[in-house]
Amino acid sequence: MANEIVLETEALSKHWGGIKALNDISLQFRDRQLHGVVGPNGAGKSTLLNMLCGTLKPTSGCIFHKGRRIDTLKPWKFVRRGIGRSFQKTNIYPEVTCLENCAISAQRRFGGNFNLFASRHSNQMVRKAAEQALAQVGLEDRTHTIAAEISYGEQRQLEIAMVLATDPCILLLDEPMAGMGHEESQRIIELLKELKKTYCIVLVEHDMDAIFELSDQLTVLDNGRHLITGTVDEVRADPRVKEAYLGAEEDDAEEQAA
Amino acid sequence: MIFEKRTERILVPMFFMVALFVPLFLESNSFFVGKVTTILILSIFVMSLDFLVGRVGLITLGHALFYGLGGYLFVILSPEYEAVNFWVYTFYICGISALIALVTGAVVLRTTGIYFIMITLAISQMMFYYFFDSLDFGGNDGVFIFMKPETSIFGLSFLNLDDPQHFYYLALFSLFNTLVFFKVVLRSRFGRIVEATKQNPDRTEALGYNIFAFRLTCYVIGSTLGAYAGFLFALQYGFVNPSFLAWEMSGTALVMSILGGLGTIYGAILGTFTYEGLQYFFEHLTEEWLLFMGSAIILMVILLRKGIAGYLEKLLEK
Repeated sequence: MANEIVLETEALSKHWGGIKALNDISLQFRDRQLHGVVGPNGAGKSTLLNMLCGTLKPTSGCIFHKGRRIDTLKPWKFVRRGIGRSFQKTNIYPEVTCLENCAISAQRRFGGNFNLFASRHSNQMVRKAAEQALAQVGLEDRTHTIAAEISYGEQRQLEIAMVLATDPCILLLDEPMAGMGHEESQRIIELLKELKKTYCIVLVEHDMDAIFELSDQLTVLDNGRHLITGTVDEVRADPRVKEAYLGAEEDDAEEQAA
Repeated sequence: MIFEKRTERILVPMFFMVALFVPLFLESNSFFVGKVTTILILSIFVMSLDFLVGRVGLITLGHALFYGLGGYLFVILSPEYEAVNFWVYTFYICGISALIALVTGAVVLRTTGIYFIMITLAISQMMFYYFFDSLDFGGNDGVFIFMKPETSIFGLSFLNLDDPQHFYYLALFSLFNTLVFFKVVLRSRFGRIVEATKQNPDRTEALGYNIFAFRLTCYVIGSTLGAYAGFLFALQYGFVNPSFLAWEMSGTALVMSILGGLGTIYGAILGTFTYEGLQYFFEHLTEEWLLFMGSAIILMVILLRKGIAGYLEKLLEK
């Protein structure tokens, strides 16, 4: 628990007209930890993630990154501060190779983005960074394959590689295992276990087994409210969670835990 | 190699070789030389539009605004009965057009999709009616340009704009440079992000790029070259009138670029020549040429889904 707090929300709210998508959320995300966020559909998980990466502006409340307030910044400035996100729906550049996908992500860090004349292939650092990101997620042998032609599971991996290529310190992952088979999920779980040693990861996921296995901290949201944050065991033991979220499944979960 | 496709590597040198030598065997003031000069100039305009629409994803219906500006800026800036220097005025006109593109672009690029189309159309129509009604610039009739600029650089002059053949080579040279310029820009690191923005703008922004800045830069580049084409056209014919910035001009250019193969850049040349060629052919065939022209275009768009360039690429690649 000694890890430094890198990302913090303070009384964060998002209202759509009268609907409170997210209400008064105060959370702390620590470095080199995986922070799971769960909750039933419509609980506000994606809204939270969208605000943490700057796409949505909070109605009220603040977000702090390493002690500095960032919620007023433009979305693309979040990435420059090291906050990278992946998307729930696969969101890649389907027409170009996997390497090029990562090169697009990596290029920003090395400057020359407004250089109209230097060839895009002239900077070896960009290429190296892109290759490294692909290697991190284990997609080396797909380097020169067009992104639309790799399997769905691999596209999800590429999605993560693209975030890694931006050289983030915080990863916001929106259901990286959505729609994946068991074996593919297992691969992502292994990957995330490895990644959480170096990054602060905020993981929104429906796969309960996965999130119980991975989370150091777990936050439960329900109907836009913050229910509880704690270790997996604390969350499991909490009666409010049973009531609001786990419901009938609770017995199964208890059995598994025991 | 900036020409990545085989089709380009075959067609582009072929075109420029033919274009370079054919006029040498013709009379300098022949109809053919003048006509082709016009088409070359139009190709520059269409190419700049093709870049914006096909490569940046900015579907503008107001590109003619800059075509007209190129002509009108010359009339506004230059003294009426005195030959000015061509290169200096090219610099002025491109500079001012770029500035205008920067200001208008900063406004129009706040919108996307259908709103972008409408607002670009609105701005260009505003300028159209301004020049249409203005007494200073001849209103509907436009203005004559009495003196063609001289072209000396440091006292050396090798180009006489009054000579149609010289003008032809100026247009050809400009078109070649425009093509190479766009190809270099698209291959650059800047071009990589422009391409990415067109494919997936949300993702590109989520990767930390200020996509507005990239789009604005492209808008300025495309508009400036469009203005340069308008400037050349005004010089060739010695006048400028509001039809330069009418929306029909933007529309026609869009058709040409789609005909040639949207986003292929070199396809703009194919599209412009085909369109102009068809028009010339039908005009001389019948009074009701528009009917045939329209049918021919509909047919070509249906049959050649990716334009002429797309069709040729299917034949020539691999």
